[in-house]
Amino acid sequence: MNERIAISGIGVVSPCGLKKETFWANLKRGISFIDPVTRFDASLYPSRIAGQVHDLDHYTHLSGRLIKKIDVFSHMALVASEQALQDSAIDLDNVDKTRIGVFMGNALGGWLFAETELRDMYIEGKQGISPFMASAWFAAAPQGQTTIYYGFKGYSKTIVADKASSALALWYAAKIVAQDKNDFVLAGGMEAPITPYALLCANTNGNLSKNNLNPKEAYRPYDLYRDGFVLGEGSGIVMLEKESQAGKRGVAVYGFLKGIGFSSDGYHYSRYRPDSSCLEYAIEECLKDAAWNKKDVDYICLDGEATAMGDYLETQALKNVFGSAIGNISLSAPKSMFGNLLGAQTALDLIVTVLSMKNNTVLPTINYLMEDPYCDLDYTFNKALTREIKKALIIARGRGGINVVLAVEKE
Amino acid sequence: MNLKEEIIKVISETLDVKEGEVKENEKLYDSVGVDSTEMVEVVVTLNKHFGIKLETNEVTKSSTIAEIADLVEKKKE
Repeated sequence: MNERIAISGIGVVSPCGLKKETFWANLKRGISFIDPVTRFDASLYPSRIAGQVHDLDHYTHLSGRLIKKIDVFSHMALVASEQALQDSAIDLDNVDKTRIGVFMGNALGGWLFAETELRDMYIEGKQGISPFMASAWFAAAPQGQTTIYYGFKGYSKTIVADKASSALALWYAAKIVAQDKNDFVLAGGMEAPITPYALLCANTNGNLSKNNLNPKEAYRPYDLYRDGFVLGEGSGIVMLEKESQAGKRGVAVYGFLKGIGFSSDGYHYSRYRPDSSCLEYAIEECLKDAAWNKKDVDYICLDGEATAMGDYLETQALKNVFGSAIGNISLSAPKSMFGNLLGAQTALDLIVTVLSMKNNTVLPTINYLMEDPYCDLDYTFNKALTREIKKALIIARGRGGINVVLAVEKE
Repeated sequence: MNLKEEIIKVISETLDVKEGEVKENEKLYDSVGVDSTEMVEVVVTLNKHFGIKLETNEVTKSSTIAEIADLVEKKKE
């Protein structure tokens, strides 16, 4: 990118907080926010634990009239968007709304709304289904609701790419701002997979932890006793604009998007290529795009899939790309505390990374007990670390090997 | 409760707005700014509530409560 893209506002709805302040304070404690699923009876599901958002209704600014028309994933996106807009100090009455866009990532769609309405349709016939079903469930609904709510008319898109959805949305958004197509972009993702059908679908991929008896200890990336990742729900949205424009507006920025690298394994529809060459390529491309040396990187926010294959490949890629330099880079997967938010995950990782930069802290990977001989790097286990972070990478991997790496810098 | 008040109650509950916002002699679009999808819900709820069969093109955004009451009356007979 020619000019750096500034992150001038953040909004977060997550299992460990519905405001950036609580979100950060909770993460710093290094404890788990994974609990048994309580929204419905999940007792027969192989994996029935998740990071769940509580009390969304207490934090909302939306009317009951709007809430009943939308799925909870749109609701979370609207709450996070409002936070990001306020945080960025944008004066919505005095900006050109045709130059504000919305770029979202989502993997599954809005099933809580859809499942309920479809059930009613099968029971009551066509009179039973809400007319809002059509506009509530699909993956681009949150993008549409956000643009309608604020009257934004700029170029907007929604990207669906499993766990790399919001990584690609953020990159797409940054590119659109860099190309001068929009002045502002709200970018990020949202996911609400804790519904009877969506949780069942997620269960069938076989990568979820079944440690239902110990939810707090279930998500343990890079640990020998891992048995998969844990789902989470929530939304992360950031405001992106050009560095020069943020400077002119005189707003404090959290950091800058500096580069991206991406690649596809091109191997199998759901499995990773059994060697790490494609992930390595994405990391190399990102470093090239950001014009960084390997030694410049201070921190890497990891994917941390908590599967034997996922963790091994990620570790292998880091070793092969960075060589001995990896010893000086802090690594961690803070999502081990609140779960993997699928389509929203990279947006949360970006927020975690810029807050870590702001607070000179490396958040931990929790639940570490026993070393895996194939994952022998220092992943900042269990306890946060004080360290100045100037340059950081974020790794996102979708099913079947959609590899995206983002470069973020503080100053 | 007369028929008009009953209709206002049904519509305001369906849309999740205050009863006072739905005005008897104003078009629904002017008083509460309904959109066409909301109107589908309004018609379906009226049909269920009164046990009648209104069509979605009979009650529209530009109907007033008085007009809707006349229609409901006619259909009930």
